[in-house]
Parts: sequence; structure tokens; C-alpha cells
Amino acid sequence: MTAISAMLYREGKIRVTNLTFIFWDLFYPLGYLLVFGVMMNYMVGTQFPLAGVDYNSFFLAGVLGMASFGIASNTSWSFFLDRDNGIFYEMLTYPLSRAEYLLGKVLFTVFIALLQTAVTLGLGSLVLGIRVRADLLPLLLLAVAGGTAGWFFFYAIFALWTRRNDVFNSVTSVFYFVFLFASSMFYPLEPLPTWFRGAALANPVTWHVDLMRYLTIGFGNPRTVAIEAAAFAAFCVVSFVIAVRFLQEQE
Amino acid sequence: MSGFALQVENLVKVYESRGRAPVRAVDGLSFEVKRGQIFGLLGPNGAGKTTTLKVLNTLIRPTSGRASVLGYDVVAQPLEVRRRISVVIQESAAELFLSTLDNLLTFARFHSVPVAEANRRAEKVMDLFHLREEAARKVQDLSGGFRRRVQVAKVFMVNTPIVFMDEFSTGMDPILKRAVMNYLREEAARGRTIVLTTQILSEAEELCDDILIMNKGKQVARGDLHALKLLSEGVYDVSLTFEKLPAAIEQHLAALAPRRMRVTGNTVEFSVKADEARVLALVAELATRERVLRVEVSGASLEDIFVELMK
Repeated sequence: MTAISAMLYREGKIRVTNLTFIFWDLFYPLGYLLVFGVMMNYMVGTQFPLAGVDYNSFFLAGVLGMASFGIASNTSWSFFLDRDNGIFYEMLTYPLSRAEYLLGKVLFTVFIALLQTAVTLGLGSLVLGIRVRADLLPLLLLAVAGGTAGWFFFYAIFALWTRRNDVFNSVTSVFYFVFLFASSMFYPLEPLPTWFRGAALANPVTWHVDLMRYLTIGFGNPRTVAIEAAAFAAFCVVSFVIAVRFLQEQE
Repeated sequence: MSGFALQVENLVKVYESRGRAPVRAVDGLSFEVKRGQIFGLLGPNGAGKTTTLKVLNTLIRPTSGRASVLGYDVVAQPLEVRRRISVVIQESAAELFLSTLDNLLTFARFHSVPVAEANRRAEKVMDLFHLREEAARKVQDLSGGFRRRVQVAKVFMVNTPIVFMDEFSTGMDPILKRAVMNYLREEAARGRTIVLTTQILSEAEELCDDILIMNKGKQVARGDLHALKLLSEGVYDVSLTFEKLPAAIEQHLAALAPRRMRVTGNTVEFSVKADEARVLALVAELATRERVLRVEVSGASLEDIFVELMK
């Protein structure tokens, strides 16, 4: 535990030296919801194909999923900063296991993601009138925390594998395009072609967003959502195990 | 617990890379290091020193053989090893976005040093490394030399029984280097084991209780300075400063096949392998050519031994 708290302290110390970035992390999901969500709500109006739910409420889970995905991607960039500073290899000689290293590294990001969620939910409710299920809020926060960590571990695999930030940059660009758009983040899957739905249902972003959509507005079939939640939890655990393995193989 | 600080047994490390022949960086190396010693690992570039250190630091796994730190196997018990070591790696390594003080305190936190104690030590270490004026400055705003100071200073924030230092003096001025060397001696006297690699042989000569010279991944010599000097018995370093340099002295000395020779101004320095009487006769003969202002004859230096072994 000491090792993880030391890592958390280190990450926190570094991140608070850049307050602009923290401000952006905290408010960008809300900004996205206000700009993209409100415009879409205006455009689709009553024709939105989900009875009883407006687009803002539908998109809330998508925006939280996007925030988890984005903040995790940004945190995984720190592997390259650490390499450039030379501190990466020195830290691997510190008294902490590779698993503690990864967990400690992601904890501060999880903390920011939770604050980000609180800001988005609070102001989303005040400004846009989005009603969130209060009884499921603890599970929502758990989904945000687990999802942010899971995506960080996923990205860490590629950051540790490629070892080159230009290659990693290309990888993340492709991931952003494929993972975010081939998912239920921006639109419901039901009206879409079968091939697209198939691809989206195999996408961990869909599993994460569907879970959070159920936990925010109660939308979705509980049985399907439970299966997606289990699949997403497995995805996070497998990503963690592989990331630890890659960290052990750093030479 | 083991009586030795380090035990290395038939260690082999082969680097494989696609499309290239495998590189055998360490090739059957075996040695032991007693606790409380300053142990020097010397060798030319590519000798395998840093690879050996990386295995002992748990940064890489050996291809075969065993290595242990205070009895803990580096492959089977890496975390136990890491709890007992602090490392200055060869490359510059510091938290660039943190201040000098935060670099020291963060490192101490990883090693579970209580906050009050860490603050106390930080004061002492900043004084030793002349970092007090830079305490609040972010390391990214410091020069390369100061960054290296911060990196080396960190290991004195903790009390790990073993300290590894890979080329620690890079970028240090002579005064600071001397202060750090004195501090290293004090730490060794208190029971810490210091393991260092260096290309600056005078440093090793001055500091190390025990030296291992390696080349191409293998041990080529081992022992304390006196034992190593026996390897080049009969080699003498001679330095003569004349009032006026004798004519054709370089040609005259070349006939003696010196191992090295350098003429700077009116001073001639050379190294020869010969018996003591012959060396003294040579000095006497040179003194008849021009007035000698200063003469110095000494046994072979570690550098002479090193050069001899690498031939």
C-alpha cells in the first residue's frame, strides 16, 4: 500500500504542476455535452428514436465513456514523458511491484475522472435538466473508476509495446476513430445495419457506455447490460494482466 | 540472510534482436562482494558492466546463471531486492516537472522514509550537493550537471544497504566529486555496500576496496588495488621535468619501447616495463643531458594495468 500511495503522490505532484490540463480534464465532458449534445438534441428533437429519453440524457453516458477513454489515453502518454526524462527505468528499480506501479499511476487519473463525473452530472442536471438515477450512483462511480483504469491498462499495453511516441500517436488516432464511432456512444444501435451493430457489440466501449447508460438513466435490458458489464470487467482485468507482463519485459 | 552483499554465479545475458546476430553481453560471469565494501566494476565500453548492473537491479533478467542481492534472487524475489537497493542509472534521470526538493522527497517516500526524517535528510543532502539555491526550481529549468546532482543526491536520502552507481561522476565538478567520494567512503564505513562502474580509473583507484575488470562479458582480473598492481609488476611510470627539453629525447626513449609516452612542454612522462635498477639508471642518464627540475618514479597505475589487460 505504501508503494501505491507513493506512486499516487508522485503522479499527483506532477499533475498539479499543470492546472490548465486539470481544468480541461474536469470540464471537457460537460463542454462536449453542452455543445454537441444540445445541438443534436435540437436537431433530432422529438424524432429521436428512443421514447421518453431526450438526446442529452442518452448522450450523458456516452460523454462519460468518452471522458474515461480520453483521460486514460492522456495518462498513458506519461510513459513516454517518463522515458524522455530517463526516470522510467530508474523507477523500475524502486521498491514496488510492476502491478503496484501501474495501479499507483492510474489512481490519480481515476480520482480526476470521478471529479469530472461529479461536475458533469451536477451541472448536466442544473443546466440541461438531466435526471440521473440516484439509487445507482455508487455503481456509476464504480463503473467510471473501473473503466478509466481499464482503458489506461489497455493503452499502457501499446505504450509499453511500441516504445515510440510517434507510433503510439498513430495507434491512438486509429483507436479513437474505430472505438468511439463503432459503438453506442453517440447513437442507439437498434436502427443501424446488422454488420455495424455486430461490430459495435464486440466493442468494449459499447459495453462500458451501455453499462453507464443503464446506471444513469436506467436505459437498456438489465440482463444484456449485466453480460456487457461482466465482459467489460474481464476486458479490464485482462488488459491489466497484459500491461503488467509488458512492464516486466521492459529491457 | 547471506553473508555476501552480492553473489553472481555463471551469469549469462544474451541480447537477441530480429535480423541481427545475438550479442553475448555477459558471458559466464561469477563473483561475490562482501558487505560494506566499495566494489568497482571496470571495463571498456561494451564490456558488460551496465548489463551486469541491470541484472542486479532487476531491470533485466539473465539468460542463464544466478544473481542474488543480500541472498535474494533477482529473478525469483525482485521486490525483496528492490527494497534493499538504490540506483543511479547511467542515463540522466529526474522528475523534470518537480522541484529539486520534491525530487528528493518523492524518492524518499518510495522508500518509506517518514516525512519528518525525509525533510531533515533533504536539508543535509542539499547542502552536500550544493543544491539549496535550486531547492524550489523545477528540474527542467536546471542545467544537465545540476540534474545529475539531483539524481545522485537522491540515493543519499535513503538507507538502503546497497547502492548501485553507474558512472556517477558524469557532469560533476572536481570539488563536488571529491565531496561525494568522501561521503561514499563514510557510507561504506557505516556498512553500506557501494557498487560502482566508472571509466575514470583514478576514481576507482581512490575509492574501491575491491575491483573487477571485465571485457567482452568476462572477468579479466579481480582483486584489490595491490593485488591488481601485481599483475603488472615491473611496470614503472616516470615523469621528468627539465629546465630545457633534451634534444631528440623522444627518439631516445622510443628505443626503450615505452608502453606510453607523452611530452608536454619541458616534461616527459612515460611508462616502461623494466627492473627497478634499470629504470633508476635511465633516469640518472637522462639527468646528465639537461638540468632536471622535478623527477617522479612510481609503480604502475590502474590505468596502466587496465590498458595492459585490454591488449
